[in-house]
Amino acid sequence: MSAALLSLLIPLISALVLLLLRVRVGGLVILANATSLGCAALALYQVVINGTQQLNLGGWETPLGIRFELGPLTALLLVFTALIHLLVAIYAQRSRHSQTRDTDFWPLSCLLHASLGALWLSRDLFNWYVTLELLGLVAVAMVILSGPRSHVPALRYLLLSLAASLCYLLGVALLYGQYGVLDIRALAGVTSNDQVTRLALLLLTLGLMVKAALWPLHQWLPAAHAAAPTAVSALLSALVVKGPLFILWMLWDNVAPAELARQAGIFFAVAGIAALVSGGLAALRTPWIKVLVAYSTVAQLGYALLALGLLLYWQDANMSIALWLFVIAHGLAKVSMFLAAGEMQATLGSRHVSALKGASQTMPVAMFAFAVAGGSLIGLPPSGGFVAKWVLLQPLFLEPARWPWALGVLLGTLASAGYVFRVVTIAFDRADPNPPDYDSDVSAQWLAMLPALIVWAMALMSEPLIEWFREVGL
Amino acid sequence: MITAWTTLLPPAIILSSLLPGLVIFSLREDQVKLRIGLNLFAVILKLCLVGVMLWGVNQGLEFRFAIGFLPGGGLVLQGGATSLQFVTLSSVLWLATTIYAIGYLEDSPLRSRFFGYFSLCVSATVGLALAGNLVTFLLFYELLTLATFPLVVHRGTQKALRAGRVYLAYTLGGGALLLMGIALLHSITGSPEFQAGGYLGPLLDAHRPSLILAFALMISGLGVKAALIPLHGWLPQAMVAPAPVSALLHAVAVVKAGAFGIVRVVYDVYGVEQVQALGLAMPLLALAAATILYGSFKALQQQELKKRLAYSTISQVSYITLGVALMGPIAAVGALAHLVHQGLMKVTLFYCAGNFAETLGIHRINEMNGVGKRMPLTMTAFTLSALGMIGVPPTAGFISKWYLGLGALEVGQDWVLLVLVLSGLLNAAYFLPLIYRGWFAEPPTQWPEEHALGNGRPGLGETHWMLLAPVLFTATLALLAGVLAGSELSPLAWSQLIINRRFGL
Repeated sequence: MSAALLSLLIPLISALVLLLLRVRVGGLVILANATSLGCAALALYQVVINGTQQLNLGGWETPLGIRFELGPLTALLLVFTALIHLLVAIYAQRSRHSQTRDTDFWPLSCLLHASLGALWLSRDLFNWYVTLELLGLVAVAMVILSGPRSHVPALRYLLLSLAASLCYLLGVALLYGQYGVLDIRALAGVTSNDQVTRLALLLLTLGLMVKAALWPLHQWLPAAHAAAPTAVSALLSALVVKGPLFILWMLWDNVAPAELARQAGIFFAVAGIAALVSGGLAALRTPWIKVLVAYSTVAQLGYALLALGLLLYWQDANMSIALWLFVIAHGLAKVSMFLAAGEMQATLGSRHVSALKGASQTMPVAMFAFAVAGGSLIGLPPSGGFVAKWVLLQPLFLEPARWPWALGVLLGTLASAGYVFRVVTIAFDRADPNPPDYDSDVSAQWLAMLPALIVWAMALMSEPLIEWFREVGL
Repeated sequence: MITAWTTLLPPAIILSSLLPGLVIFSLREDQVKLRIGLNLFAVILKLCLVGVMLWGVNQGLEFRFAIGFLPGGGLVLQGGATSLQFVTLSSVLWLATTIYAIGYLEDSPLRSRFFGYFSLCVSATVGLALAGNLVTFLLFYELLTLATFPLVVHRGTQKALRAGRVYLAYTLGGGALLLMGIALLHSITGSPEFQAGGYLGPLLDAHRPSLILAFALMISGLGVKAALIPLHGWLPQAMVAPAPVSALLHAVAVVKAGAFGIVRVVYDVYGVEQVQALGLAMPLLALAAATILYGSFKALQQQELKKRLAYSTISQVSYITLGVALMGPIAAVGALAHLVHQGLMKVTLFYCAGNFAETLGIHRINEMNGVGKRMPLTMTAFTLSALGMIGVPPTAGFISKWYLGLGALEVGQDWVLLVLVLSGLLNAAYFLPLIYRGWFAEPPTQWPEEHALGNGRPGLGETHWMLLAPVLFTATLALLAGVLAGSELSPLAWSQLIINRRFGL
């Protein structure tokens, strides 16, 4: 447990150091992230050996104190968060085009890291509110790093995020008034299917869906993620939207009364398929590179939403595994995709998709990274995205009545293949290549490639991972 | 613990082209010698490894490599008789095509990229042949799509890109359908290894609708690459690719991947009896027969040489599906033998078309007048292969058709003979005029676009030697496959061996 706490505290301390000393040294953050990754890996190892661990902060028992819980999923998410932060930080430090050197990016990204760590470890509705609020504010602050152009989307993001927080807080208050506890385990046993609980869950869900940009409450995401500096876009898409998703999953899987969860499950699943299709279509149409990648996030969150919905509807624990495999595979692939897209758009000097003409020649490594990451998003074997889709598909085929859901997955696959290869084909246009404005930066392109390679390597580790999750639960 | 060499041989065969391919990507354009050296080294290494495996299988050794991947189905590579036939075909044709491509692309841009993807493409094909279960097969099937796309759009023109988009739309769609089918089967029984006679027998009654749906999904997924109608639309378009790519796509890599997949699904996943019990044989047979006739009719209408060859591929590859769908041992022998025969003949035809285009600028059929006088060796190879396609004895094509016909009679589907005869007539109708024009028509005073390749005189110098040698090599192989069909080393004998095991004869 102490390793897990360290993995959270190290970025927090580095953020404070950077802020107090008024320095913006990227190297320090990279070091902090690497140490944090080491601690998280150690925590994961401890969970594998000893199983789930609890910590009551300050020695106070629930319901008075705050409880942290380090389970298999939390440990894995800590590793995932630290890894993504490390990869992005190295890119942000190394690339000429990251727009983040010597800026507030460094302390902010550390704060983001710490609040995510706290979110994964918390098991308490109010604590989650605090982490959500932190996450939202830090995220908005990071978006405006890219200058005046980003102010409008950032402001919209901020307002929606605040409204969502209020919604969430109201839900928390209702539940607290009704049951007098906020700890998720304490709530799990006592909730009943009455009007107040339903209203509270509705408010909580609305707040979380806005923050996680789940369809149909996703409208703020493409503009905000596309306007942010490249490194920030990567962090936002890979990590920030996954925090509220985690709470949503915890809430519905544990707290919600079973009957209500079943009904809500259908809604989530249908919304998931709608997200897959509409996000995919929007990505197919948009003329901007980074907006395309951002819409792909909306679409990919549809897989997670579908898995969540079917989990609730069928009470099938395999769906939880599928959900979190999707989250991890998407996170890694999306980092790669955003970094590659940002690097290409900066080097080629245009934010237009059509500016990528001939990129397979002028920036081969970045383009390859984009395609490799895209392969995982489509779900081509043997990538992490493929494994996640496979785990999701297995229960869908168990009986003929479930087959229509598989059709939804098929549509999602085709849509994502559509927008990934829309970019790839343009990049192979050799007849009229777009000359780069700058010399292309090969090492930055390789840094963009790295997460994509990790997501493909993930497939090789997936069997023990899935078996472990099945054995011990998430 | 030291792993036995028999375990490592199957991955080594894949890596022998994959790793050099990755190295080739990183080479600069001007490192010509190094690139050619790497290419040839990889080809020869692969051939040696395949030779060792052939020897081992003959000695009764088992080649099996497995690592974990998904619960219920790992990554399994296995060198059995069926795999080896396809592996050998791909490796031998890769040798020929590599030499051809080096000559063909001399001094053209982006050769590192071309040869890199070229090697990946062969690695995927060989992996697909060695795949020991459906999950592994799917993996290489998708990799093949990804590796061939950059080759199809290699020229980077608007036309090539359009063809590339169509190609991707079809093949990725097909891949998604195949994935669905395999996932459906996997949810019922996992993905055990392929086995002669199939592994679904005990599940037949309990899961009838699922098995039918899975079969339909998988066959439509595989049918895209095997160019069964109505999923063939990508193939005539994809011929905008450079000639060595067309040769490879049409002869081994892509269309054969589809056909080989159908062989696997019918024989080693479902099993002949189960396919018949589910009532799936007849629709497949009808589809194959329709494709054979449709492809031939369309080929007859084409005025461009490569397009005519492309439609001819659609028709010829479906002979394999036809033989499989007949569900009898004799037809099955014909189908497997045709897998090799068609590969040899079609690759020769595409090389020849490439030679005509590169040397003399001939693209259309009416430009072929008298080309036999200028390029007699190429034209001879073309003629031999075209006669083989028609099925004139004693060519390889005749052998496959003979077995297919006998097989049809054996299982009482006499009408298939009519399809074979009609298709043979159509083949003659679209190939004989080419042969006639090439040999007997007067050559024009000036060729459309003559390039200075070779010494410009008929004979061994009629074109670049690297373009000519592969043509002669594959044409000879095709000829031998027919003439020596009775010997033990022929594709026919090997197919016989495979089928005897499948049907327990």
